[in-house]
Amino acid sequence: MNPNTRRTLEFVLDNLVWFMLLFVLLVFSLFVPNYFQPGIFANIIEASSVLGVMSIGLALVIIAGHMDLSVESVAALSAMAVGIVFCSAGIGMGVQLSPDWLGVPVSLIIALAVGSAIGAFNGLLIVKLKMNAFIVTLASYIWVRGVVLALSGGRSAQDLAPAIRWFGVQRLLGLPLTAWIAILCFVVFSLIMAKSRFGRHLIIIGGNQNAAFRAGIKVDRILITSFVLAGAIAALAGWLLAIRTSGATANLGMGLLFNAFAAVVIGGVSLKGGVGALPGVYAGVLLLSAINTAINLMGLPATSTQVIHGLLVLAAVLLDTLKLSIRQKLA
Amino acid sequence: MTRFEPLLVLDDIKKNYGAIEALKGISFTIGKGEVVALLGDNGAGKSTLVKIIAGGLEPSGGRMLFEGREFLARSPSEAKAAGIETVYQDLSLATNVDVVANFFMGRELTRRVLGMPVLDEKAMEAVVAKALASAGTRIPSLRTKVEHLSGGQRQAIELNRFVHWGGKLVLLDEPFAALGVEQTRRGLEMIRAVANQGIGVVIITHIMQQAFQVADRIVVIRQGVVAGDVATKDTSPDAVVNMITGETLAAAGAAG
Repeated sequence: MNPNTRRTLEFVLDNLVWFMLLFVLLVFSLFVPNYFQPGIFANIIEASSVLGVMSIGLALVIIAGHMDLSVESVAALSAMAVGIVFCSAGIGMGVQLSPDWLGVPVSLIIALAVGSAIGAFNGLLIVKLKMNAFIVTLASYIWVRGVVLALSGGRSAQDLAPAIRWFGVQRLLGLPLTAWIAILCFVVFSLIMAKSRFGRHLIIIGGNQNAAFRAGIKVDRILITSFVLAGAIAALAGWLLAIRTSGATANLGMGLLFNAFAAVVIGGVSLKGGVGALPGVYAGVLLLSAINTAINLMGLPATSTQVIHGLLVLAAVLLDTLKLSIRQKLA
Repeated sequence: MTRFEPLLVLDDIKKNYGAIEALKGISFTIGKGEVVALLGDNGAGKSTLVKIIAGGLEPSGGRMLFEGREFLARSPSEAKAAGIETVYQDLSLATNVDVVANFFMGRELTRRVLGMPVLDEKAMEAVVAKALASAGTRIPSLRTKVEHLSGGQRQAIELNRFVHWGGKLVLLDEPFAALGVEQTRRGLEMIRAVANQGIGVVIITHIMQQAFQVADRIVVIRQGVVAGDVATKDTSPDAVVNMITGETLAAAGAAG
């Protein structure tokens, strides 16, 4: 095989999920009535911002060779904390800050503090006490949701302070600022993963933790940092979710975890660790969102979304296996 | 005992796993520029000893002097900082990243972009290209992920890595397990070249011929104790085999 064909093929394999996204958009645009219009595409991006942000944190931990099932509940708890403090109806306390905009940094700090604390708790148990990440974060998934229920008493907080909701209302180039925040997160974390020592070390740890340790990489510290980041990023997703729904309910964000997993896997991140990049994850998120939008437009029952998502995850894993065998032939 | 200036002195190093004594008190010296072959049967405690020196395990007793100073590495990074490089028998490569990333694992070069440290891929690639070229190792592309390379190429990367980073003491735990005849010969030459720079080398091997080809001194460990410590030129493969199997334990001490 000549080097050019090989390079082209490698490029296609590396960016397969983007080609899938383009293909799906093309097919939907041709066959689904009213699909092809800027408003729909803006909607796809907008609808994927919460899931997108959450997927970043999950992807970081999975690339490092671990697992974080707690991201969904962490997002819900952060949203609930923000909701309780800054909502004026329901169980909201309606805290007023002056000037108004002060609510933005304060609510962000509340959310991030909640998320980082749970992330640090997970990370310490997993790294220092060498407990299994799956079990630890499964436990967190359950107890953190329990805290949300206990805090809210099953009721909801409504009417988020306008200064915070502004991010969901204000638009730039047709997209709300919340969507831009998600895009910015992807850009920043993609750069961190590709260009920084931290990102490089995280990938190496995911590939061979022992080798990383022997090479003098501070494995424990980097792994704990990745769990803290996953928690903090999930909390940011929760903050965006609170803005999107203008408050918080006890069952807010239920089911997001599985969509985040689907996006991460479809995006080309291997559950074995060490493989995958964040731009692909974003494409995975957009792909899910594009399909949801098509289902809505076609008037299919919403329940079919789940079946399709499930099949899509299977297809992604199948594709991953296929990619691996093609690569082995290339080498 | 040795004509070399002492670099690392092991003094009564012990390691227990519960009631099991893996090392019962190991004492010997490694000189600057000296190649010491560490021999012994499976389970004799060679790898345990190497891990203790390299900071991967803490000893249960005894002490080490490195360059005349009391020394104990609590982690591989501490050992590395002190100038001790280790090549393990199961290779320490991350196969999911490319050759350059492996070569610079934990020591990545960065440059500042807008005040932030960013990986300097070009500079790192240039260094790796030069290091591999001077060692005569050919790898098609330095941007190939290591998982696509052969066992021999992988071991060559690992060996070139330690030659490049050097330091003061190099520990090699069966470094030639996956190498062919020609690559092994080159590997042994590399070890001599490293030692000639004044770096101390400890090589664990099962192959008697390799030990006699490269080592200045042979240290035999048997059941957690030093069963023999002799200059290579004063001994023979048969005598060493006897030390390993324990048939002439009495003769071993005298030779040291």
